[in-house]
Amino acid sequence: MSLVLTETPLAITSCGVVSPAGLGLEALERALRHGLETPAEPKESPDGYPPRPLWAIPDLGVAELLGRKGLRHVDRLTKLGLVACKLALEGAGEELDADARAHTGVVLATNTGSLTSMVEVGIDTLVQKKPYLVNPGNFPNVVTNACTGQIAIRNSLRAVNSVVSSGQAASLAAIRFARTAIEQGRASRLLVGGVEELSPAAAWGWHLSGALTEDAPIGEGCALFLVEDAEAVRSSGRTALAELLACEVAYQGLGTAREQGEGLRHCVERALERSGVSPGEVDAVCLSATNHWVRDQLEEWAVGEELGRPVPQVQVGEVLGELYSASGAMQVAALLARWREPARQPRIGLVTSMGEDGNVGCLVVREWR
Amino acid sequence: MAGLTLRARVVVTGLGPVSSIGIGVTAFRAALREGRSGISPIESFDAEGFPYRDAGEVKDFRPETYLTRLSPAAWGRSAQLAAAAARLAAADAGLPDDACADAGVVIGTTSGESQVVESLVAQQVAGGFAAMDPGTLRQFPAERLAAGVATELGLAGEVLTLATACSASNYAVGYAFDCVARGDADLMFAGGADSVCRWAQAGFHRLGALTESACRPFDKGRAGIITGEGGAVLLLENADHARARGARVYAEVLGYGVNCDARHMVAPDEDSIAACMRLAHQDADVKPDEIDYICAHGTGTPANDLVEARAVRQVFGERIPPVSSIKSMLGHTMGAASGFGAIATTLAIADGFLPPTINWTTQDDELPWIDPVPNVARPATVRIAQNDGFAFGGNNAITVFGAAR
Repeated sequence: MSLVLTETPLAITSCGVVSPAGLGLEALERALRHGLETPAEPKESPDGYPPRPLWAIPDLGVAELLGRKGLRHVDRLTKLGLVACKLALEGAGEELDADARAHTGVVLATNTGSLTSMVEVGIDTLVQKKPYLVNPGNFPNVVTNACTGQIAIRNSLRAVNSVVSSGQAASLAAIRFARTAIEQGRASRLLVGGVEELSPAAAWGWHLSGALTEDAPIGEGCALFLVEDAEAVRSSGRTALAELLACEVAYQGLGTAREQGEGLRHCVERALERSGVSPGEVDAVCLSATNHWVRDQLEEWAVGEELGRPVPQVQVGEVLGELYSASGAMQVAALLARWREPARQPRIGLVTSMGEDGNVGCLVVREWR
Repeated sequence: MAGLTLRARVVVTGLGPVSSIGIGVTAFRAALREGRSGISPIESFDAEGFPYRDAGEVKDFRPETYLTRLSPAAWGRSAQLAAAAARLAAADAGLPDDACADAGVVIGTTSGESQVVESLVAQQVAGGFAAMDPGTLRQFPAERLAAGVATELGLAGEVLTLATACSASNYAVGYAFDCVARGDADLMFAGGADSVCRWAQAGFHRLGALTESACRPFDKGRAGIITGEGGAVLLLENADHARARGARVYAEVLGYGVNCDARHMVAPDEDSIAACMRLAHQDADVKPDEIDYICAHGTGTPANDLVEARAVRQVFGERIPPVSSIKSMLGHTMGAASGFGAIATTLAIADGFLPPTINWTTQDDELPWIDPVPNVARPATVRIAQNDGFAFGGNNAITVFGAAR
């Protein structure tokens, strides 16, 4: 290869989190320490839910958070995104002016957007008097980028706007996309993260797929980070929450389980190397596949092999339920939540992903100093 | 920002179209040259009850003809289309099977495995969610489009599906371009795939965006889109890498622009599209008067074509290059659309012709500055060309290609 690469770290200047623990990092921190107090039940559905734990986000009070205007045709997944976006933008300290917003974009990991909207429109084509009598207000929700489109519209964010659908590893793929986009000048700032909603369709899908361990709960949530070039933040004397250092991904679809584990191990090795971080400096690891058969052990094995010592784990899947594409983003949020408690040295955490589809990845996160 | 970072040159060395007008680059090129229509009565679902029943289905697609590793029974139609397109692109580029291991893939899509979702919905309507078939469920995630390509070709690099609706292929080509330009990879497969499905037919009809049989972009009588499908994949390669292995170079990717209208979910925005064109030109370091051809988004709806034509005038001023829409031939292939556009643009440059806008009969007085290359392909020297892609959500993405140097 003809170019010598130096990674461009991204600074997280603000974050917006909506999870079964509630709104914000403080609620998340509490849940990470003590577990969810009483997990909220999803809203009753005539279709029913499968017999397994379901951990919904407690009542959001969407109207108070987002106002009442223009939400009639907006589905739940998009509302989660809009709430997280609001929290992230409000937490940014000074408000972004029109010019800053014009150079801000959105990169969001989600599997298919709102499965509920897709299923509703699909059912209409089968059960209505005429197959084309779908709800025209609902139809634009079917496209997977409905959520990022609404976030852009409601906040005048006019730079690159993208949805990354890469399964369990999608949030890490989104972070890589964000880093490249900012480095190449496609945006000055980005809201990057992941979102998934709890719905009968998604819950039954997980339940029947056989991918999850028996009592693994299914959750929902959105974590969004306002990011920009870390050097730009430093040189302007501003502060941030953390830095996203190297993020390495690989595809191991054809391999055996063992090869998938090896693939992740290599990602961890490369990510540490390209971040200039030694295994001994890692303070915490946050794994993704903790609710998944076999992969839970593979992931733990790969990280353990590379670090060569036991490192404290920040548990997300066990505490919030399965979050699929949003897992990686919530894992980053979990590190930030744990780092609310001050420490003398800036801490370093690893976020890993391992998906059914064969995607694996590792991101290095460093507390801001 | 271009100029601030050192970028490697990126070239197109393989093309893989799986389309209603031809499968493989030879058939696709011939179809573009003769202005063939791929529109026919819908067969992939029961269209009874739909007022308009034509679509651009890829009826000749036999996945087992192209796929050597994927078992078609285990993968949805969109993944099959993507994987077959990538397989064709790899063969077209003369890449041996074992040369792809470090390559990555980016596939754009609007609706992912829409036919798989529709099967699941039918199972749900018949017997509730508990009646969904686990084998069908495994095929449904959108990530399977890129995963299908990676599995078929044995790729171990970056593998992602970008679901940015109808400009998704340009997003994919753009991101793959960045990956090669910044040195993350020497080889990236990029493009898009989507399948014809009931809900798109229903939804676009309800929005008043469907036309009955002939899609006529830029024509005074244009009345809407025809839904279509396909897989369109290009192989993007580091120019030095391509030279070292003696690869044939179709064209160079000069750059791209992306932005978001941030105004309306479905209505296009002239100023924002014009801004996207300027971003693309700036990134590619070209001036509007250097562009010889525009492969339009050109959906054939009254609103899109008018807005696109006005944006072109805003950016290009007095000298406006020919602007044609291959959607007149293919229908609107959704997430694959700007991938087919990218392939057509590449061929226009490599082979020296302008693909026509077919079904064109009457000049629209509202956009007299548009030369749509009516009905018949035209020989032309195309040094630099742009490929437009716009989408629901206001996602604009425009790629710029130049002649091989």
